[in-house]
Amino acid sequence: MPDQPNVPPSSAASAPSGPVAPKPESPAPAAPQPPKAPAGFVNVEIDGRPLQVKAGTNLIEAANQLDIRIPFYCYHKKLTIAANCRMCLVKVSNAPKLVPGCQTPVTEGLKVTTNSPEVMDSHRAVEELLLYNHPVDCAICDQAGECKLQDYYMQYDHRPQRPAQPKLLRHKRKELGPTIVLDQERCVLCTRCVRFMKEIPGEPQLGVFGRGNHEYIDIFPGQELTSRYAGNTVDICPVGALLSRDFRFKARAFYLSQAVSVCAGCSRGCNTFLDHYDQVSYRYRPRENDAVNSAWMCDDGRLTYHRLVEKRALAPMLGRVGAGKPAAFAEAVATAAKRLEPFRGKAELAVLVSPQLSVEDLLAVAQLAKEALGASALYEGGLADGVEDALLLRADKNPNRQGLRLVAKAFGLELRPFQELVDAAEAGKLKALYVAGAEVPIDEHMAAAVLEPIEVIVTQAVHLDGLAGGSDVLLPASPHAEDDGSFVNFEGRLQRFERAYAPWGESRPHWALATELARALGFTWRRASARAVWDELRDRIPEFAQVDWSDLGPNAIRRPGIGLAPAAADARPPGYRERPVQLKARPPEPIQ
Amino acid sequence: MSNPKRPVPAYEAPGSRPETARERAYFPELARGLAISAGHFLRNLLWSRDPSPDVLHRRGPNAVSTVQYPEEVAPYPPGYRGMHRLVPREDGRPRCVACYMCATICPAQCIYIEAGEYPEDPIEKYPVRFEIDELRCIVCGFCVEACPKDAIRMDTGTHCKPSYDRPSIVYGIDRLLKGPAVSHASDVWFKREGSDPPPEADPHPIPERGR
Ligand code: SF4
Ligand code: SF4
Ligand code: FES
Repeated sequence: MPDQPNVPPSSAASAPSGPVAPKPESPAPAAPQPPKAPAGFVNVEIDGRPLQVKAGTNLIEAANQLDIRIPFYCYHKKLTIAANCRMCLVKVSNAPKLVPGCQTPVTEGLKVTTNSPEVMDSHRAVEELLLYNHPVDCAICDQAGECKLQDYYMQYDHRPQRPAQPKLLRHKRKELGPTIVLDQERCVLCTRCVRFMKEIPGEPQLGVFGRGNHEYIDIFPGQELTSRYAGNTVDICPVGALLSRDFRFKARAFYLSQAVSVCAGCSRGCNTFLDHYDQVSYRYRPRENDAVNSAWMCDDGRLTYHRLVEKRALAPMLGRVGAGKPAAFAEAVATAAKRLEPFRGKAELAVLVSPQLSVEDLLAVAQLAKEALGASALYEGGLADGVEDALLLRADKNPNRQGLRLVAKAFGLELRPFQELVDAAEAGKLKALYVAGAEVPIDEHMAAAVLEPIEVIVTQAVHLDGLAGGSDVLLPASPHAEDDGSFVNFEGRLQRFERAYAPWGESRPHWALATELARALGFTWRRASARAVWDELRDRIPEFAQVDWSDLGPNAIRRPGIGLAPAAADARPPGYRERPVQLKARPPEPIQ
Repeated sequence: MSNPKRPVPAYEAPGSRPETARERAYFPELARGLAISAGHFLRNLLWSRDPSPDVLHRRGPNAVSTVQYPEEVAPYPPGYRGMHRLVPREDGRPRCVACYMCATICPAQCIYIEAGEYPEDPIEKYPVRFEIDELRCIVCGFCVEACPKDAIRMDTGTHCKPSYDRPSIVYGIDRLLKGPAVSHASDVWFKREGSDPPPEADPHPIPERGR
C-alpha cells in the first residue's frame, strides 16, 4: 500500500487505508473549524467528507483515501502527469470551471465535489467522445473484462452511441516489435505508453504522431519497439490498444483467476500476479511493490510462465533415456531409496541442488542430504547467468540463490560450484547423484553426457529435458506456481508466493518428494504442507527467526473442501479474481 | 331408462347399456363392429397412404396417421430451437470471432472454443476449435442470445441424431458450419479489406487551405 505516506502521522494508526475517514481526536466536534492539520498536511473536504492529507497530493489520490474513486485514464501514479484525457474533471471550490483531479494538488480548505450532476455530465461527455471513433470490437479484444472504457461506459455513460459520421479507420494490427502489437483504433491517446517508455526504461521508442482527430501512437519510422520493458505498456494501456503478442487470443481476461506470485526469471524476484485458468498459467502481471519492482517487470520474466506449462515431467520414470518407462509413484520412490542406500554417507554420493527451488523445498532437500544421505556438501545447479541491466533485470537467472546459501549454511553443508561436480564426475570420483531441480548452468546435453558414467542418478525435476532424461529414477516435481513457498531475492528479501492451482499430473513439490524419499530410507518425517516444512525447520536459520510466514504473504483464504480448481461456471469461485490480497502494509525487510 | 336416483357408476357411461332389441340380440351389433374394423383395414390396405409428415393435413381415403420416422420427419413449429449451426459468412468462413460469450453463458458448459488469428482478415480472431457437446446441451438457446455477431443459431430445424458412442455427439466446426451465409450492413469486411487503414477512407479529411 504505497499510499501510506500520505496519511498524516496523527491518524495513521486509526485509519491505515480503510473506508472510514480519519477522525483526529477533536475536543470540540461542534466547531465548524476543522482541527489544525499537522505540519505538511492540509484539510480538505471531498464530497462533504473531511480529510487531512499531505500537501501536494493530487485529488485522485486524496479521494482514494476516502474510497471515492475519481475516474481516470491518463493518470498513472508512477508516471508524470499529462492531464490529457479529461476523464478526471471534478469541481473544486477555488476554480470557476472543472479541473483535472490528476493535476490539481490539494490546498488548505479546498472543497472538492466528485458527484454533482455537472461532474457526472462531464464524465459522461468525455466517455462519449472517447468512444466516438472507437471500433467497439470488445468481442475480439483481449482487454475486454479489464478495460477502463468498458468499466466507465457502464458507470458513467451507459447509453447508445449517437448516430455519427463513419468512424475513423486506422491500423488495427500494427506489430510494433517482437512482443507488442498495437491497435490504433482502440487507443484513447492517454500517452501513458509514451511516458512510460521515456521515463521508466529511458528508451523513448513510442511517440504521438498527427494532430487532433488524426493523432495516433506509433513507433518512429524504421525503428522497432525492442525494449525489454515494452510489456509494461500493455499493462498500463487502459484500453485494448497495446497488446501482448504472446498472450494474444490465448484466453479471455475475465476467465482468469490471479494468484499472488513472484517471478522466478531472475534473482530480483519481481512481485507478480500469475493469471491462470483451469490449471493452466497464461501470463504474469507485475504486482506493485516499491521496495522491489515498483509496478513493473521485464519481458523476459513475463515469458517465464512458459516454464510452468511446457515440457513438464508428469509421471515418475525408471531407467535412462531410451530405456525409461513410467512407474508407479511408490515403486519409483522405493527404487530410488534402494539405489541410493549403499552410498549413504560415502564421498561417492553427490547432491546437486538448484536455486530454482523455494526455501521450503530447499529446507527439506538439505535435511534429506544432510541427515538421510549423509552428504557434507551441496553442488549448486541452476540456470546460467544472463544479461543484467540497471532497472530490474539481474544477471543471476535463479530466484533463490540467497535462499540456497542460507539453507546450506544452516545445515552446515558446503556449497560447491557446478564446475566441481563436472570435474569430480569426469575424474570418476562419483558413483551416485541425487538431483533436486535439474536446471544446470551448462548446456543440458553436455551436462547429461558428463554425468552419464555415474551409476545411480535420482532426479527430482520439473521438466523432461536435459538431466531428467539421463536419470535412473525421475520423480516429477511441481514448479513454484503449484505450491505455497518463498524465495529470497538477491538483496536478501524473503518473499512469499501462493499456490495457484494443484500440481499437474503426478508431480509433487520438491519438499514432498524429499520427504517421501527420506521415509523410504527409514525416516519417519511427515509433512502435510510447505508451511509445515517451514515451521519445522526454520529455527535452524537464525535469519528467519523473526519472520512470520503468514505475515509475509498472500494469505489466500481457502475454504476447506473447495480446491483452487474450477468451481464456478468460469472456473473460479465467485469473485475470486477480486479477492482482497492481504498483504501487510510494510514491505518485508531484507533479512541480511 | 335407468333409475335417475341411482348414481351412474364411473365405468358405465349413459347409453352404454343395450337399449334396443337389436342391441340386445348382440350378433347384429357384433357384425356391425367387425364391418367397421374390416372397412378401415381394407381402406388402409387398398389405398396408399398420404406421406405428408404433417399428419393433420393428410388427405385421401387412407387414414393411417403414422409418421415413418426417420424417412418422414414431422415439421417443427416456428421458433423451435433445433441443432446449433455456426453461421458462415459469404466467403465460407465462420462469422464467429471466438469471443467466448456463448461458452461463458452456457449453463451446461458444453461449448469449448480455442481462438486463433487470421493473418490477413479484417476480423483478426476466429475459432480454431469450436465444439459443442450436444449431449450436455440443454437446448436453452442462451448461446444464440449471447452471441454479439449472430454467428451461432439454432435454426436448422433438426435435432441431434442418436448415436452409439458419445464422442460422435461432440460437434466440431466441420459439422456445425453449415446453412445459408449471413451478412449485416455493419459487418467489418464491408468497410475494409485487412487491418491496415484503407487509404481513401478518411471520413474526416483535413480541409485544404485555399491558396
Ligand atoms: S496505446 Fe494505450 S497507453 Fe498508449 S496512448 Fe493509447 S490508450 Fe494510452
Ligand atoms: S443451447 Fe444452452 S446448453 Fe446448449 S449450447 Fe447453447 S447455451 Fe449451452
Ligand atoms: S487522468 Fe486526469 S486528465 Fe487524464
